[in-house]
Amino acid sequence: MSDQLKSILFTAAVALVCSLLLTAAASGLKARKLRNVAVDRQKNILKAVGLIDPDQTVSASQIEQRYAENIRCYTLAGTGRIVDGDTSDGLPVCFYIKDGGAAAYILPVDSRGLWGKIHGYMAIEKDGKTVAGFSVYSHNETPGLGGEIEKPWFQKNFVGKKIVDEKGDFVSVGIVKGKVTDVIAKAQQPNYVDGISGASLTGKFLTGGLKKVLMEYEPLSEQFRKGAVDLPAGG
Amino acid sequence: MKLLQSPTFKAFSEPLVKNNPVFIQSLGICSALAVTVQLQTAVVMALAMTSVTAFSSLTISSMRKVIPRNVRMIVELSVIASLVILADQLLRAYLYEISKQLSVFVGLIITNCIVMGRSETYALGNPPIKSFMDGLGNGAGYGLVLVTVAAIRELLGAGKLFGFAVIPQAAYDFGYMNMGFMQLAPAAFIIIGLLVWLQKTLMKE
Repeated sequence: MSDQLKSILFTAAVALVCSLLLTAAASGLKARKLRNVAVDRQKNILKAVGLIDPDQTVSASQIEQRYAENIRCYTLAGTGRIVDGDTSDGLPVCFYIKDGGAAAYILPVDSRGLWGKIHGYMAIEKDGKTVAGFSVYSHNETPGLGGEIEKPWFQKNFVGKKIVDEKGDFVSVGIVKGKVTDVIAKAQQPNYVDGISGASLTGKFLTGGLKKVLMEYEPLSEQFRKGAVDLPAGG
Repeated sequence: MKLLQSPTFKAFSEPLVKNNPVFIQSLGICSALAVTVQLQTAVVMALAMTSVTAFSSLTISSMRKVIPRNVRMIVELSVIASLVILADQLLRAYLYEISKQLSVFVGLIITNCIVMGRSETYALGNPPIKSFMDGLGNGAGYGLVLVTVAAIRELLGAGKLFGFAVIPQAAYDFGYMNMGFMQLAPAAFIIIGLLVWLQKTLMKE
């Protein structure tokens, strides 16, 4: 056998053994990995409504239990109806169920950031106007600067802010450059949160992203403002 | 003790300090900067890297007599890459939170010069058990550096070790503040430089 052929065959054999080993590992571990990703998503939704304290460590089964007891997820169809079904022609939305009704609704936020996408969840109270919570679970922003959006201090600032102005028109909630009390008139202060120093671009992109997402879910928010929300029975 | 003098044990002990891969051989510095912000991530990274180096050296050494010379680097890379992917999969399955923090850096173990360096310079010319110990020792030497740098960075940059507050609240009330600079990569660079200086000074005596 020529040297060249030997080398090729040997390398092919190594490649085959490696692929078999990795395929076995990947499929054997698949169930666990999928569960981890699902639990992570549930944890982030629970964080957005404040059912999990960001500083606590909660076990996976506790997360799954808390989620099953408190959260129901549906699809917001184009017609504005909330349906129990897959999200291919509608928007996903989750509800925090308390005392038989929705106490808050949780929207997935996928915004442009400075260095990549920002992913999180925003929860709005059942009045359709007040922010109940905000959590960020994935981003590529600079640590210490834009990266502060993942910190509790920044996310807590959103609680109690309003997505509508005094007249009741939709304005979304934005991040200013500097402190809200210094740059925004008193009447508009409920629609803004303090910016992160050194991260004005992250703030600008996130503001745009939040406005876009909240705009998409306005039909649902309007239903909540009117108090006329129809959740699918059962759940 | 006879065991401590055996060449096999020396293969493990030498890279710990005397021939430390980061300080003396100047290998693997890049990831040392990125994963040393917290002790917990540094420890996991060190364990992942040590297992990869030890097992890749073992595998390559077992095959050393049959690997054709002209494709040896390709074979080394395949073995190392497979072990790294395996380590990444295990982390995602069993230590998900930490794997998210480590993100791309586990994958980058493939690029860590120490792993390939030991395969090429030691494993190809030495028996399997000795190669395994050499891999273990180099991984442990690298791990020692990671843990030391991370301990300094987490203590000075966040006042914690392994996530537990070590600096008492009284100190903060008195006016003490965490050194924010410690959380950025250049701090790791400076700490490593200072430690190299320290080690070389101590070794001269």
